[in-house]
Amino acid sequence: MGAAVAAGTLARLRGVSKVYRRGTAEVAALAGVDLDLGEGESVAVMGPSGSGKSTLLAILGCLDRPTSGEYELDGHVVSDLEDDRLSGIRNRTIGFVFQSFHLIPQLTVAENVEAPLLYGGGAPSSWRPRALECLRRVALLHRADHRPSELSGGEAQRAAIARALVAAPRILLADEPTGNLDTATGEEIAALLAELHREGRTVVLVTHNEALARRAQRMIRLRDGRIESAPEG
Amino acid sequence: MDGRVLLRLGVRSLLLHKLRSTLSILGVVFGVAAVVAMSSVGEGARREAVAQIGALGIDTITVRTRPSEDVQRPSGLRLRDSAAVAAVVPGVLGVAPVREVPLAASAAGRRAEVVAVGTTPAYRLAARLPVASGRFVTDLDVEDRKRVAVLGASVAASLFPFGDARGRSIQIGGDWYDVVGVLQPRGSPRGRPGPIRTRDVNHAVFVPLPALDRGGPGRPDGVDEIVMRVEEGREVAATAEVVKSLVTRTSGSGAFEVVVPREILRQKERTQRIFNVVTGAIAGISLLVGGIGIMNIMLASVAERTREVGVRRAIGATRGDIAAHFLVESSLLTSTGGVLGAVLGIAGSVLIQHLAGWPTALSPLMLLASLVTAAAVGVGFGLYPAWHAARLEPMEALRNE
Repeated sequence: MGAAVAAGTLARLRGVSKVYRRGTAEVAALAGVDLDLGEGESVAVMGPSGSGKSTLLAILGCLDRPTSGEYELDGHVVSDLEDDRLSGIRNRTIGFVFQSFHLIPQLTVAENVEAPLLYGGGAPSSWRPRALECLRRVALLHRADHRPSELSGGEAQRAAIARALVAAPRILLADEPTGNLDTATGEEIAALLAELHREGRTVVLVTHNEALARRAQRMIRLRDGRIESAPEG
Repeated sequence: MDGRVLLRLGVRSLLLHKLRSTLSILGVVFGVAAVVAMSSVGEGARREAVAQIGALGIDTITVRTRPSEDVQRPSGLRLRDSAAVAAVVPGVLGVAPVREVPLAASAAGRRAEVVAVGTTPAYRLAARLPVASGRFVTDLDVEDRKRVAVLGASVAASLFPFGDARGRSIQIGGDWYDVVGVLQPRGSPRGRPGPIRTRDVNHAVFVPLPALDRGGPGRPDGVDEIVMRVEEGREVAATAEVVKSLVTRTSGSGAFEVVVPREILRQKERTQRIFNVVTGAIAGISLLVGGIGIMNIMLASVAERTREVGVRRAIGATRGDIAAHFLVESSLLTSTGGVLGAVLGIAGSVLIQHLAGWPTALSPLMLLASLVTAAAVGVGFGLYPAWHAARLEPMEALRNE
């Protein structure tokens, strides 16, 4: 395992804790997590509700900072970075897929997909072709000019995946991406994510679904903010 | 971020709630409209005063007979008062006695309503009258009581539209006069009774003073006005005081008034300043109210779109980007309000001119200032909601339902 830490490591967590303050009470969502994520790896994170899965994903995705411990992503110590740099990392290095899709209702599907490019710079004229390319990739090109409210759950999640892909990130973080979908549609989305992993992206998937988790190369189980086991997949 | 994209997105978000957006800018619309309309009234009054005073001459003094109630003992100015002023008061040029009477004039089958002005050659100096052709009334005309006339530009144009008026004859109030000169046209205020009565030289016919015998019984030497110009470098107000005390003594009555355009202008400027302060205060209050309305609606919008903020942060928006989104929206709102308000204000100013008959004038600078202010209100009152949105933690914003 020591060897694996070397060249191919994309993310490394050491003793990462996250404590939320609820009034006077302190809730430890994460309590000393050590984790290494290899480039091109696919990891499933499982665990009961409240075990800290989403918090782990938020920290991996630079949406949240650890209360203590060290997080190193792609050679940067995230805890040291200022907010705008974190935004840049979220924009270019990370693609998020959420359980409830989180599409922006007043924008069309294509506009939702190209939204990350708005913050990434680059020529505005290149945005639409890139967005359409990603929509083709998730087989949703025919819905490009529709509103999110006109999409089915599976379509909305595919649109969200297209948005996560548009800035060509190295890591895809999916937080229960099939949680709001029926089994067949969930299967479709799972297959899509697996395909994206095969294309070389690092994928971290938080799920309740054991079958889905088994497809990942590695599965880690969280309980009470700690990693229970990290068997090789 | 690309500015045009930011604008497009802002417009999109605002159009999502058309009614709400419209209602939220009403305060700014009416505020700007009121200010534009009011300032157009102020500007109109200012320009009219300047035009009137310009026609009168900023360095002139006019002593004018007050209408007398006592018909038996007519008082007022006489020729000797004029002579006394010319002889005694230092630093005045062209002291001219004036009689005037509105009369009908006709020539070659055409008629015109004119103001016949009987005066002396000094009037040309006092009022700086430019002669276009021919000559003005001369001393000889006055001594010999000649029936000669100098026509104002409009009179000449309406009575003698084809060719030179000089050498022709004109009948004024039943008497025949020979036209000896025509004056150049002069910019004059609109024919609205204002605080300063001005003589519209374009519609006047100047004749030698004795030709216009209007002294009346017992007052063959009565005059309506004494007009003079103060030499350059002399204090107009002080000279006016000297004239006043002199005429009080020589005329033996107080039945006259001294009109000093420069003083009237000063007074008008003071009034104008008060008006401007009031307009400014109203502008300030209405924009404050409008701005609070905008802030309110933007705060509601931020609360409603907390999740969108979270999503945008997750896909790479910085705090600055989020603030920019909301600032663009609030300034779009108030700028639109400003434009609508300006249009409404212009319409109002036109309406005021037509219905109330007040002169109005729109100054482009004022319009520009109100638009810039409206946009600034959007930025100013949008700052807090934008800051509020920017400060949201991404994770908490995403969890918001």
